[in-house]
Amino acid sequence: MKDIIGFWGYPHPEIIKKYKQNYPDAKWIDLDIDFNYPEIKVLPDAYCAIIKNIFNNAFYLKDRLIKVLAPIGKDKCDSAFFAVQILKDYGFDIEISIFEEGLTDDKSANGRDFSLIETPISNSSLPLREKIEKITANIIEEKDYSNLSKCKAEFGFWGVPPNDLSILELFPDNTRVFGWTRCVEAKSPADIGLELYVENGLPTVFFAQTFCAKNQLAKYLAGKHNGLYIDIDGVPTNSIKAKIEAFLRLR
Amino acid sequence: MKKYFLDAGTTWSKILEITADVNTAAGKDFEVQKSYKIVPTATLKDLDLEFTAATGHSAGLKNIKKYENEVVALAKGAAKWLENDDIVLDLGSRDIKWVKFKDKKFSDMDWNTNCASATGATIEMLLKFYNVNIKELAPSEEKYPVTCGIFGLERIMDDVAKGMEAKIAISKFIAGIAYNAWNFTKNPDRLCVSGGFCENDCFIKSLQKHCEVQILGRFILVDGLYEEWKKSCGSF
Repeated sequence: MKDIIGFWGYPHPEIIKKYKQNYPDAKWIDLDIDFNYPEIKVLPDAYCAIIKNIFNNAFYLKDRLIKVLAPIGKDKCDSAFFAVQILKDYGFDIEISIFEEGLTDDKSANGRDFSLIETPISNSSLPLREKIEKITANIIEEKDYSNLSKCKAEFGFWGVPPNDLSILELFPDNTRVFGWTRCVEAKSPADIGLELYVENGLPTVFFAQTFCAKNQLAKYLAGKHNGLYIDIDGVPTNSIKAKIEAFLRLR
Repeated sequence: MKKYFLDAGTTWSKILEITADVNTAAGKDFEVQKSYKIVPTATLKDLDLEFTAATGHSAGLKNIKKYENEVVALAKGAAKWLENDDIVLDLGSRDIKWVKFKDKKFSDMDWNTNCASATGATIEMLLKFYNVNIKELAPSEEKYPVTCGIFGLERIMDDVAKGMEAKIAISKFIAGIAYNAWNFTKNPDRLCVSGGFCENDCFIKSLQKHCEVQILGRFILVDGLYEEWKKSCGSF
């Protein structure tokens, strides 16, 4: 029985709306998330854990998937674009999405006050893991969180939702969210100006998934803002956790 | 009356023993005598000691009252040694970490977390494998690239197979580690060095080709544990 709409990244809201109307009873599953389904040996061993999740989940749920909504633009990554070609070849029914509204370059980003863009979850005092889970869930749920009050930030977390969300539990609740995750909350996943934004002077951990092109930005921004750059492949080691813990305690 | 602090490394463990005069130990201003020792980590389980605080990869013992993060212990232990913009580098058996201070406060850090093939345990293994005494090593002008230590090992084995003396090849590997350490700490003019490599003359001289070096010794982390304990309770 086909009862699931699978998606990754942030499909264009118009596409989400169309599938909600056409399949009101369908379950929506974010294929980026690690559900511990069996590993499919399609991709190279050394590859982005998120893209691996997409393949593992898609193959495991194949008989139940009505459709896969597949962002492939600057709002996601080249790996997703290539993944679509492979998944199509394996017989998946896919609708591609390019959600690049608000795509800016550095020049047009100059002069924008990114602190004014409404991101109540990112700025709230909710636990960091809950913030990021709410932001990603809200791609489909579209709940109103404008009532959340803004907390005084002590730390920042920049990046995408990690494959293993447990590292987020190391951070205090007054950690503000930046990077692509903040862009998603702002409904502007390709806004490079907003993605580059962090608060001056706020000690920030810059995270990227190992083998992801965003490592380029994470390392650069960590150097620029005197933050901590980390990349994690799959599950974080104790050393990575200790490194984050040391940064949070010493800063 | 005694207290013990432990830095349990992968190969070697460093222990700080604090002895207090029981007549003056009630408050924080007790008189103390400090003594340090190094034991093989494999023998720790045989020691009948309770540790007031411990850090390190191998600190998973039952007789530890408080575990401390290694970078935090390094930062606390090195604080008194460091001037403005100084960096302390700790290079041990399995890992390499550094902390930078600015205005006597923590400012930056890093810690290798993925690969330990270009650290102390590898050097010890090479010395044993080629039956070379560490005192035979002289700093080398040439260096093997050890961004990946495994590739560096391959270069040693290739060159030794072609007739190079093992001590020369190991020295080139150490020169590569020194260069890596300098790069890892963002190319400073001066580095304070802690950890087992303080006692590796070939490494220190290789590092001095890139920057000024101050040797802090092997007990900075246990000193850090002691300083933290003194601040938080510090009472016998």
